[in-house]
Amino acid sequence: MGELALLLAVPIVAAGLIVAVPSRRWSPRFATLLVLGAQVGMAGWFATRALGSMGVRQVMGGFRVPFGIEVVLDGVSMLVVLLIAIVAFAIVWTIRSGARSSGFYGLCLLLVAGLTGVAIAGDVFNLYVFLEISGLAAYGLVASGRGGKGALSALKYLIVGTVGATLYLLGVAYVYVVTGTLNMADLAVRLPEVAGYGSPAVLAGFVLIVVGLGVKVAIFPMHVWQPDAYADAPDDVTALMAALVSTTAAYALLRVVLDVFTVSFLLANPLLHDVVLLAAAVSVIVGGVFAYRQEDVKRMLAYSSVSQFGLIAMGLLLATETAVFGALLHLVGHAVMKAGLFLAVGVVSLTVGVRTVDGYAGLVKRSPVLAGGFAVLALALVGIPPAVGFVGKWYIALGAIEAGSWWMLAVIMVSTLITLAYVARLLERMFMRDPGPKEDGLDGLVTLNATSVSVLVAAVGAVALGLAGPWIGGLVAPAIEVLVGA
Amino acid sequence: MDRGLGCTGDRGVGGSMIMPDAWLPGLAVLVPALSAGVIFALSKRPNLREAATLGAAGGAFVLVAWIVRLVLAGEKVALDAGVLVPGVRLAFEVDALGALFALLASGLWIVTSVFSIGYMRGLKEHAQTRYFASFAASIAATLGVAFSANLVTLFLFYELLTVATYPLVVHDETDEARAAGRKYLAYTFSGGVAVLTGTVLLFWSTGTTSFVNGGIGSVAGVNLGLARVVFALLAGGFAVKAAVMPLHSWLPNAMVAPTPVSGLLHAVAVVKSGIFGVARTVLDVFGPETMHQIGMHTFVAIGAGATILVASVIALQKDNLKRRLAYSTISQLSYIVLGLSVLRSEALVGALYHIPAHGFMKLTLFLCTGALYVETKKKNISEMAGVGRRMPLTMLAFGIAAAGMAGIPLVAGFASKFYLLLGAGDAGAWWIVGVYVTSGVLNVAYFWPVVSQAFFEEAEADPKPLIDHPMGGQAERDVLASRTPLNDAATTGFHRVPVGREASWLILGPLLVTTLGSLVLGVAVDSAVFMALAEQAVEAVMAP
Amino acid sequence: MIDVFAVRFEFVAAIVVLGIGLYLTIGDRGLVKKIIGLNLFQTAVFLFFISASLRDGGAAPLLTESGGPYVNPLPHVIVLTAIVVGVSLTAVALALLIRIHDAYGALREDVIEGLIDDG
Repeated sequence: MGELALLLAVPIVAAGLIVAVPSRRWSPRFATLLVLGAQVGMAGWFATRALGSMGVRQVMGGFRVPFGIEVVLDGVSMLVVLLIAIVAFAIVWTIRSGARSSGFYGLCLLLVAGLTGVAIAGDVFNLYVFLEISGLAAYGLVASGRGGKGALSALKYLIVGTVGATLYLLGVAYVYVVTGTLNMADLAVRLPEVAGYGSPAVLAGFVLIVVGLGVKVAIFPMHVWQPDAYADAPDDVTALMAALVSTTAAYALLRVVLDVFTVSFLLANPLLHDVVLLAAAVSVIVGGVFAYRQEDVKRMLAYSSVSQFGLIAMGLLLATETAVFGALLHLVGHAVMKAGLFLAVGVVSLTVGVRTVDGYAGLVKRSPVLAGGFAVLALALVGIPPAVGFVGKWYIALGAIEAGSWWMLAVIMVSTLITLAYVARLLERMFMRDPGPKEDGLDGLVTLNATSVSVLVAAVGAVALGLAGPWIGGLVAPAIEVLVGA
Repeated sequence: MDRGLGCTGDRGVGGSMIMPDAWLPGLAVLVPALSAGVIFALSKRPNLREAATLGAAGGAFVLVAWIVRLVLAGEKVALDAGVLVPGVRLAFEVDALGALFALLASGLWIVTSVFSIGYMRGLKEHAQTRYFASFAASIAATLGVAFSANLVTLFLFYELLTVATYPLVVHDETDEARAAGRKYLAYTFSGGVAVLTGTVLLFWSTGTTSFVNGGIGSVAGVNLGLARVVFALLAGGFAVKAAVMPLHSWLPNAMVAPTPVSGLLHAVAVVKSGIFGVARTVLDVFGPETMHQIGMHTFVAIGAGATILVASVIALQKDNLKRRLAYSTISQLSYIVLGLSVLRSEALVGALYHIPAHGFMKLTLFLCTGALYVETKKKNISEMAGVGRRMPLTMLAFGIAAAGMAGIPLVAGFASKFYLLLGAGDAGAWWIVGVYVTSGVLNVAYFWPVVSQAFFEEAEADPKPLIDHPMGGQAERDVLASRTPLNDAATTGFHRVPVGREASWLILGPLLVTTLGSLVLGVAVDSAVFMALAEQAVEAVMAP
Repeated sequence: MIDVFAVRFEFVAAIVVLGIGLYLTIGDRGLVKKIIGLNLFQTAVFLFFISASLRDGGAAPLLTESGGPYVNPLPHVIVLTAIVVGVSLTAVALALLIRIHDAYGALREDVIEGLIDDG
């Protein structure tokens, strides 16, 4: 009864304690790792219970559905909760002890709590609250670097992010005014019954919600905050954000579109459906082209995220079983790949002091192992089989054909080439040029520390996830059937 | 959604029977793949590293030979490694066609490895570890392509092959090499994307991508327009690596790679994986009957025929020997494609036999070119006057292989061309016969200048017809003349050295072996295992 | 649609405040004003939400009172929570402004951009 709330309570309470208790005699990093370890354990334990078709639903505080606050863990949210816990653990593990204040670790835990809340929220308003909790933590983390630039980017991120979240809230208000409920499952029933899918208020609600979440996911043209925030945040924070924040927002988009508005809504409004698909497709192409034109590696990877999330949005908006699973798999895979890539960027910047594409010349001679891991991750991103990038793309492409959407098939295939273009540009410099000068005072050699190990683990994970794709598909198939079939 | 997201799908290949020899193809791919890792680990000890290459090459060859023996005995060697994506398994199944390609690639890898050692050490090349490791990885991917039981598995290894060969193309790390590498990636990945699109469409419309000799049964039921699109995407995608014009232009640029790479990969493994893909598409996805229905083979034939002639004419104009060979490759590869498009038994046998025949002959030519470069640093035909006196065995081998290319009897090229002509005549496609004959003449025209330069010209030779650049081997004449009074360098520009001492045996041995191979394939056609495999493959397709 | 606005003038007010807030957030170069605009923007949404709960002649939904039409309590709860979220956001934003002021000595976007460009 209500034990799912532990997933939220444990990191939040721990965040408070870590900040409040003076840390002279214990290591906040170690404590955070303990908490995150417990979180991984809990997520794993709940995941085994959530594998049934309906998942676990629990109402807080003894209220009845649909009035109480409901949390839901089904096959889909279980994947995201596990991902959040594991990736957060891996990234915090790479932070050198003593490098960060206890406030930083508190924010990390708060971020984990907020994101987990987004993943398991069962009503649209709590989704907003958790979105903002994770947002607050993310703004703080982006600003945690030295200097004013991080703070400025964080403020930009805060303004755009808040506008997005408020638009989402406005959309929720519309839907609430029409239906009188906020519970997702209840909304799915009452939207067609009370208002009908064609009602202007419902349409306005949908548009506002999709735009609001689109800002958080960083779909073009709502992506303006993202490259700055990624580029100016400390490297470990960038890895954390790139892996988890947009990922969870995309998950929220999936939840709201498929669980609240449902496939029938999309079918009832073909024009709207086409417009949102087109927006996603434009994001895929434009994000990729921008990525190709970047000189700063972090910015390149940031724009790459814009492109990849366009692909994910496309998959989930296609709303066929295959495409949604493809989007989900790519969501998880992308998180692993980007976490690894940004961690690698962090190592390089720390040891060699370079951040530009040209600066990466000859990286393989400085650290063959790190360069190898980087190459595997980058090629996985392109979609070279058998890595996860390929498997996700295969499902999304198959879904596009099932939906009879030939132009989307073309976009998916072209996106492969665009991804290749910017990835190859970087890899060519890393492997086929002599090393350039390094920054003074750095040894320029990458040693095998926790971060490079994490990069390698991510590389192995990207391939393993690809091979395990069909197996994961079997696990989450019932949940996706419910999502799409409803 | 009938296919579901779970672990369902066709129960692999050849039923659920567990084959005692199932591990053979997996092992044959793993040996070179793992040896790439070993080679990296041994980067500080070159001799051991090269031993690893040779060991892996030998091991892979023995495994493949074992598989070939089983295939010839009529057994199917299959390995099922689980679900790749639902409905598609990561599976190997070796039939005669796959065995033929695998035997060629693994056999020639041994020869090329020996040559590579001589070449890389002779030139004191940089990044030798990366070179040998990428080479091993490329062979692993090639064997994977040969063994694949379905299009998705084939695509997987096809893309890995691109990745593995990229470092070899860019080996020099000059701006020219990097530009060539970019072009290589752009072309081959675009082709790969087309193949993937075709594969997804095929899977969606038929529910399978597994190869079936003679064509996937359900493909006949697919809407004609869609079938045409699928065929165009698959064949067009594979045609990029097969260097069919106008998708060929990466190949001449890729000649900046070290010569053994050009020899084994860009005349045998990589380009023939494209050919192999086309063959799989024509024979084992669509099958001759459906091919006739969708009627695309005429377009393929026209494209291939035009490529044969145009590439030959371009080859005439190239003075750089490797580039001339590259255009010759483009032309000869389309022999195979053209043969496939005829859809007659004899032509198919000829086309499949041309895969090893061209492999042996073209590798010989490239190895000769490499030997010339190591010993004399000459790259252009116009500088080679009299080189036959300096390197008689090498140039003799070159002459034999070139004769084979032109289709002169007793060399491998004659046998395959004979069958190709027979098939074309049988089909009544006289223009195809005309293309083959014309191309034979053009082959003579572009190879003869090399041979005549080597053996019959001296430094002050007159400008040759058919070559449009200043002729003559005046390059180092004066220097050499003053330094070595006892040889005929004064007249030829080259020293005379004792027979057999013209180059290191690491270099000379391999090219003589491949020459011998070209002759055996031309003389003892029936006892050469390749013909048996080609015939078995065609039989399986034509009489399913 | 029009008559809704005629009866529910709160909706009109909400839209006006929303417009002002959005304009300040996007159009003004001063960072402090942007934050003020952001607050206005949020407040407008709260106003919209809370006015949706209005019911003519409704009483406060207290169980001790005698029955009768109540106004909907849920939006109040929601807006209360949203206000807390908004306050925390403003707090974080102001903290960031202090950091920015420490670093650049200015709080106008164009001035700071100029400083960054000059190095």
